[in-house]
Amino acid sequence: MKAADFLYHRAGSVAEAVTLLDEYAGEARLLAGGQSLMPMLNMRLWRLGALIDVNQVPGLDGIEVEGQGDLEATRVGALTRYASLERSPLAASRLPLLVEMVRHIGDRQVRNRGTLGGSLVQGDPTAEMPLACLVLDARVRVESGRGGREIAMGEFYHGSYAAALEFDEMVTEIRFPRHPQHFAFSELTRRHGDFCVLSVAVTGECDSDGRWHDVRIGLGGVNDMPVLAEAASARLAGTRLADDDIREAAALTQEAIDPPSDMRATAEYRAHLVPVHVRRALQQLCSKNRAADRR
Amino acid sequence: MSFERTLNEQEISLTLNGERVRAWAPSRMHAADFLRQRLGRTGTHVGCEQGVCGMCTVMVDGQAVKSCLMLAAQLDGAEVCTVESLAEENGNLNALQQAFKKHHGLQCGFCTPGFLMLATSLAARGEAMSREQIRDEVSGVLCRCTGYEGIVRAVEEYLSVQQAEGSRFRQAEGSRHAEGAQQAMEAQS
Repeated sequence: MKAADFLYHRAGSVAEAVTLLDEYAGEARLLAGGQSLMPMLNMRLWRLGALIDVNQVPGLDGIEVEGQGDLEATRVGALTRYASLERSPLAASRLPLLVEMVRHIGDRQVRNRGTLGGSLVQGDPTAEMPLACLVLDARVRVESGRGGREIAMGEFYHGSYAAALEFDEMVTEIRFPRHPQHFAFSELTRRHGDFCVLSVAVTGECDSDGRWHDVRIGLGGVNDMPVLAEAASARLAGTRLADDDIREAAALTQEAIDPPSDMRATAEYRAHLVPVHVRRALQQLCSKNRAADRR
Repeated sequence: MSFERTLNEQEISLTLNGERVRAWAPSRMHAADFLRQRLGRTGTHVGCEQGVCGMCTVMVDGQAVKSCLMLAAQLDGAEVCTVESLAEENGNLNALQQAFKKHHGLQCGFCTPGFLMLATSLAARGEAMSREQIRDEVSGVLCRCTGYEGIVRAVEEYLSVQQAEGSRFRQAEGSRHAEGAQQAMEAQS
């Protein structure tokens, strides 16, 4: 199908884009990579008064590192495309989990256009980028005519496809703290590049004596938005990720989920899969650490 | 006083297959329809119009994209390559098209422009790719006839030939640079 009519604006700056957003008072949407928004418009799931194209706004893409040690942070521009993340040596060394998860997004053409900020604002509960940013404890920088603010990823969604943004706000940057030492990712999809049935991203730090701390377990596709399984993480604090620890933590992930039933899987099947994939991801986390020790 | 068009249309200037073109399109028109209906390049096919099938894949500024997910207006200032750019001027098929023919990489041909443009963009990256990587890279174009085997073989052959030629070209460039540097030194001495 063809999109319903809308007005088109090409913004030259963030200030211009947010002014237009304000003028349209909720009837306009920013066009970044367009890999989710354009299908929705073409299928007429959405009719908009205007599209504000931000692809020409300078300074919104790129990856920068600031600070050192525990204060180290990596800033990624909202308009940074997946393909840039895939090929960036800086992203590979500073945000390896994000880069690994980017490879699971869509297909080559989608990754050539789609953007990190666009995916966050789209807020698809099965998407990889919101989950990656949640697990990596990222903060989202937003601008509007009223000024700027930062939103923690844990507070970035009201619900599925509903980012916690006012209509005049625009995401400009995603800020990541120092990347965790160890990470693992597991995802189940029916077909290559399809929306996932569920996804699991885990990170953690391991002391020299083999005890784990700051283990974070993020789950995608099993709630209105990506969620952290906090009870399960707490169960793992100070453990050596022994089989019993992993099994009990995996069982505790049930507390964090409220899975949907759809054409890809029933809620019961998803509930069954979550501990299975969490267990696999934690075992992978553990074995990667042992592999790193041997090196 | 500036001239304002009352219709909700955009003026678009782009380089299409090496040629400067200018046209108007409604704001809501996607790039695939624009290429076909306004610029008469019907080699780009329209399938699902929701970014799933990949039929409309073209190259925009060197990158393979699905043109049903871009607005015509977004092609303003861009360099666009469609399947019409591939064959040689005398009408002979280029190496990629010949590889598709040789390996039976097409039957009905509807998906072929998408695969050809995707493969062209892969070759431009100049990276060596395993068959598994190629399968992953071309997964964004669907084919309902061939079962993909011939397509993957054709792309594999084309990429390996291009890579070899690319490295010969780079070596030739390198030796030219070396010659140039030597001449510059000789001129100085």
